[in-house]
Amino acid sequence: VIFVLYPIVDTVYVSFLSKDSGNFVGLENYNYVLFEKVNPLINTANILQGLFPMGALIHNLIWITIHLPVTILLGLAFAVLLRDVKGGTIVKAIVFLGIVVPLVIGGVLFRYVYDKDAGVVNAALRVVGLGAYAMDFTQFRQTALFSVILGSIWIWTGFAMIIYSAGLEGIPKEVYEAAEIDGTSRWRTFWRITVPMLRSTTLVVVTLTLLWELKIFDIVYVVTQGGPGGASSVLAFDMYSEAFQANNLGTGAAIAVIMTLMTFGVAAYLVNRMSKS
Amino acid sequence: VLVIIIVVAGIIVYAYYASTTPQSKLTVYALWSGTEEFNFKQVLGNFTANTGIDVSYFSQTTQDMLITVPQQLSAPPYDVDVIIVPWPNWIHDNAENLAPVTDLVTTSQFPTNIIQPVSADGTLWAAPFKLSGKPGFWYRPSFFEANGLSVPTTYDEFKNTLLPAIKAVPGVEAAIASGVDANGLGWPLSDVTEAWIIGRGGYQLQLDLETGPSVRNWTDSQVTSVFDELTGLLETPDYFSAPAEWTGQIGKLWSGAYGLFFEGNFVTAQPQVENKSDIDFFPFPETNGVSGSVDYTVLTKDAPHMDQAKQLIQYLASADAQEILVKQGGALATNTGVPASAYSASDKKVVDFMGKAGITIVPDLDDTIGGQWQTTFWDQLKLLWTDPSTATMNTVLNNLQAAAIEQQGT
Repeated sequence: VIFVLYPIVDTVYVSFLSKDSGNFVGLENYNYVLFEKVNPLINTANILQGLFPMGALIHNLIWITIHLPVTILLGLAFAVLLRDVKGGTIVKAIVFLGIVVPLVIGGVLFRYVYDKDAGVVNAALRVVGLGAYAMDFTQFRQTALFSVILGSIWIWTGFAMIIYSAGLEGIPKEVYEAAEIDGTSRWRTFWRITVPMLRSTTLVVVTLTLLWELKIFDIVYVVTQGGPGGASSVLAFDMYSEAFQANNLGTGAAIAVIMTLMTFGVAAYLVNRMSKS
Repeated sequence: VLVIIIVVAGIIVYAYYASTTPQSKLTVYALWSGTEEFNFKQVLGNFTANTGIDVSYFSQTTQDMLITVPQQLSAPPYDVDVIIVPWPNWIHDNAENLAPVTDLVTTSQFPTNIIQPVSADGTLWAAPFKLSGKPGFWYRPSFFEANGLSVPTTYDEFKNTLLPAIKAVPGVEAAIASGVDANGLGWPLSDVTEAWIIGRGGYQLQLDLETGPSVRNWTDSQVTSVFDELTGLLETPDYFSAPAEWTGQIGKLWSGAYGLFFEGNFVTAQPQVENKSDIDFFPFPETNGVSGSVDYTVLTKDAPHMDQAKQLIQYLASADAQEILVKQGGALATNTGVPASAYSASDKKVVDFMGKAGITIVPDLDDTIGGQWQTTFWDQLKLLWTDPSTATMNTVLNNLQAAAIEQQGT
């Protein structure tokens, strides 16, 4: 009641109050953050033009669309490919480093990774003769969001890999031996045995990754501050910005409620699926 | 496991005693790091030598100072005694958690326009310490000489002769360096933008914008005209560089990758300036004003060492302390008692320019407005710099107008 219920109820209550008068303003704060504020959560005009910023809510959805499948596929690939390979543990440990490094430190690293003069990304472009395209990708509206998403893939892949590795250990060896005796190819074994038997593991990875993506904040705060011009902002950063930079608790709470509803919806659906599976 | 338990228990015991034992040192927060921090510590060192009071200095990031520190001040007890910030708006917003310094400062020792922004109803909430002027474009005279470049006297000469000439110098990436801070915040871009506002629109335009939409809108034709001019230059390839960390940009200015860098006089204090006699500035051509910002010291309401903190505030406002600071270069004094002989040649030139007839010193635009508008301004300028076009400019001005209305009203 004290640590969960009261804060939730109070946040919802505050989201209906005016910043200036403290009076009840209905859905005004929601309308403001969704469509009216500088860099609204949904920027329809820019979405239609394919131009960033498209709004923090859309940015979160883009994040999920890219980050979720890529980290899951990479995590699964690393877990399966490195399972019985000599030295695989060392490679896994290196991949897992991403999840061990605090997000803030990871963010600082990525600022340098994308640096025009000192960064490894631009150094690589120069090596392959694409030096003309060298730039600080975090500073430009059309690349800023994608550069932080790419950074977050490195950070989170280790998590997916470890969970999948644990899941793989749970598959009985006899099943693989039977497939081998039947002359099943490795590819078919992967699709017909490994993937189906990792179904509940995948649900866990998807659930936790989605929740992580919905509340992503640290890396955006450190690498781009949501900029330029809000082009890489996300819901959590906008919430922080409204509540603590603009000191507008009502609009900050409105964003928090939107985030909570999205997170709760996703979590409820996936947890339900997990229980059934 | 036993070792871990012992270590953790030791840390807890240490933390308990550390938190219950009052620190004997004064604690000061400011935004300076690197050379600026080093120079400030020389002043603190002199204070300690004179009074026997030790002082600990903690550098804060801009975001921490804007958000975390105010939260800390509203929830005593805390360790910090004295804070130095360049934002009058921040000082007024946090006045209820600060102690007045009215009795600690002799206001007649400072120009009125420096005292006025931190006064309210006869109460002085901060003491002026350091003044930073944003006098113009910094350049290396040796670079100009080697490439046959000359300082422009008119804006047309600057735009049509100097910028193309710098761009044509072999090895130059862009004529003008553009900076952001180490955390990616665009405050250095705001300094160069203010130069265009004052230089092309006049100092009164900046003063009007500081007052807010009740006097001047960001979408007014005069503002649009200034931004149109700036956007045109941003659109021209290699006139302005892409934004990058500002001290690194000074290094590239020094190595000849850029010809000019618009910034405050604190540029000369940076270690990237390898030869202090090979750095000079020229004012924004035909300007009638210059932007200046003051770093103010404030006393926290529940300062753990109130009496010593008051002594430090008094000391930092004194001509003696400020003379020590300006002698190290890259800083100007707010106390009028600091002799002209204390300044280095380049700083003296800045002081002379700022005191010149026909030049009006106006408060720094974003420092004066502060709040959410300030961070919006920095962020929107990053957008303009990295995707310059008339459409982006209109978006930026509309967003600045909306943010100004939100904060300052109509």
